[in-house]
Amino acid sequence: MPQSLGRNTITGMRLVLLAAAIVWASPAAAAGQSPVAWWVWPLALFAVTFALGVVAVLAGVGGGVLFVPIVGAFFPFHLDFVRGAGLLLALSGALAAAPALLANGLTSLRLAMPAALVGSVTSIVGALIGLALPADILYTALGATILAIALVMWRSRRSDHPEVPANDPLGAALRLHGVYHDQATGRDVEWKVWRTPAALAAFAGVGVLAGMFGLGAGWANVPVFNLVMGAPLKLSVGSSGLLLSVVDSSAAWIYLHRGAVLPMLVAPSVIGIMLGARIGVRLLRIAPAAAVRGTVLALLAFAGGRALLKGLGVWA
Amino acid sequence: MDLKRDPQDIYARWLGAGAWLAFALSLLALFLYAGGVLAPFVPLERLPQLWGLPVERFREQTGAPTDWDWIGYLRYGDYVGLAAVCLFAVLSLVCYLRVLPAFLRHGERLQAALVAAQIVVLLAAASHLIPGAR
Repeated sequence: MPQSLGRNTITGMRLVLLAAAIVWASPAAAAGQSPVAWWVWPLALFAVTFALGVVAVLAGVGGGVLFVPIVGAFFPFHLDFVRGAGLLLALSGALAAAPALLANGLTSLRLAMPAALVGSVTSIVGALIGLALPADILYTALGATILAIALVMWRSRRSDHPEVPANDPLGAALRLHGVYHDQATGRDVEWKVWRTPAALAAFAGVGVLAGMFGLGAGWANVPVFNLVMGAPLKLSVGSSGLLLSVVDSSAAWIYLHRGAVLPMLVAPSVIGIMLGARIGVRLLRIAPAAAVRGTVLALLAFAGGRALLKGLGVWA
Repeated sequence: MDLKRDPQDIYARWLGAGAWLAFALSLLALFLYAGGVLAPFVPLERLPQLWGLPVERFREQTGAPTDWDWIGYLRYGDYVGLAAVCLFAVLSLVCYLRVLPAFLRHGERLQAALVAAQIVVLLAAASHLIPGAR
């Protein structure tokens, strides 16, 4: 029974996304002259982001990485506004979770701070580049990036408790070590990290992509913390959220000052994805994880392919 | 009261309170804007003809302000909504400002320097002083 409820929910979410695709594909929408009332689009945005919120939790990804390619592909909003909303969406999601994770030790402020400093500088650079690029080049780059993200998500392996022989000198100087209590196992977990300089270089690259495309960057932050620095997986996931909140704040100001943030897009999206995430958490125990993950990867591949072809002028 | 608290605890407390406030004010702002309580600067009926344009052309068509000039438009529903959205972006800066003295009290000078540098970056982004941003 719970399994069928989970399957029905996934089917429902697929239908919501399909409905959005049909609305988007209508000739009037393609011409930019919608025959429907203005409020239909924010309502559709709320429905789709609600579904994305459910899927994002079940698939273990941030909603931001799904929002930009899918809304950019299926809705009539210009990519400038979609990227601005994407940053605010990822930011608000991270802010909602970060306080509790900080309080129970599953996020480390000290671990996130150096990465946040590097990432926020490069995210500003990324935002400036993104707002200066012509739309076709931007769509092409976004499409290629989203397809690469789908590949990374498909191929990536994670390690619950990586072996780290000792802090590297920079990690030791920055006191990147500590202890958190794992409620699942009931024991305290000691952690330390290494390869800090290489990780900071990786965070710099991730920051550029986050700012340029308005993406949440949990898909990249978690593997860098976990696989490069050797932080435990739970700490990596928690600290990624805090890192994302600082990095996206920096880039968001660039979009805000340019006028690329429309409250009518941001508000329904933020509310939709947060409500969806709450449902997703409840479904986490019963939903078929493999099917959800497959759906997310397929959505990313489709949206990425669509953006790439749009940028290349093949599928305008 | 915060004298002996770990900076992480202080950050968590301030971020939690700020995020709650930002969400509550965002909902209120959406009600004022979409509910028609406050008239928007850009009429809602015009939005479908405008939101498909690049941001530069959107600004040309609407006369929408840039930088911090929108502060002067807070009588309009859309800019009340924008002010609520800005709260999300300002929260990290507030939390970093709050933990800087805590790191100094704990004698963690390198972490304090990181916090100070982060504050400079966030202030530069928020104040729109970054070269090329205008």
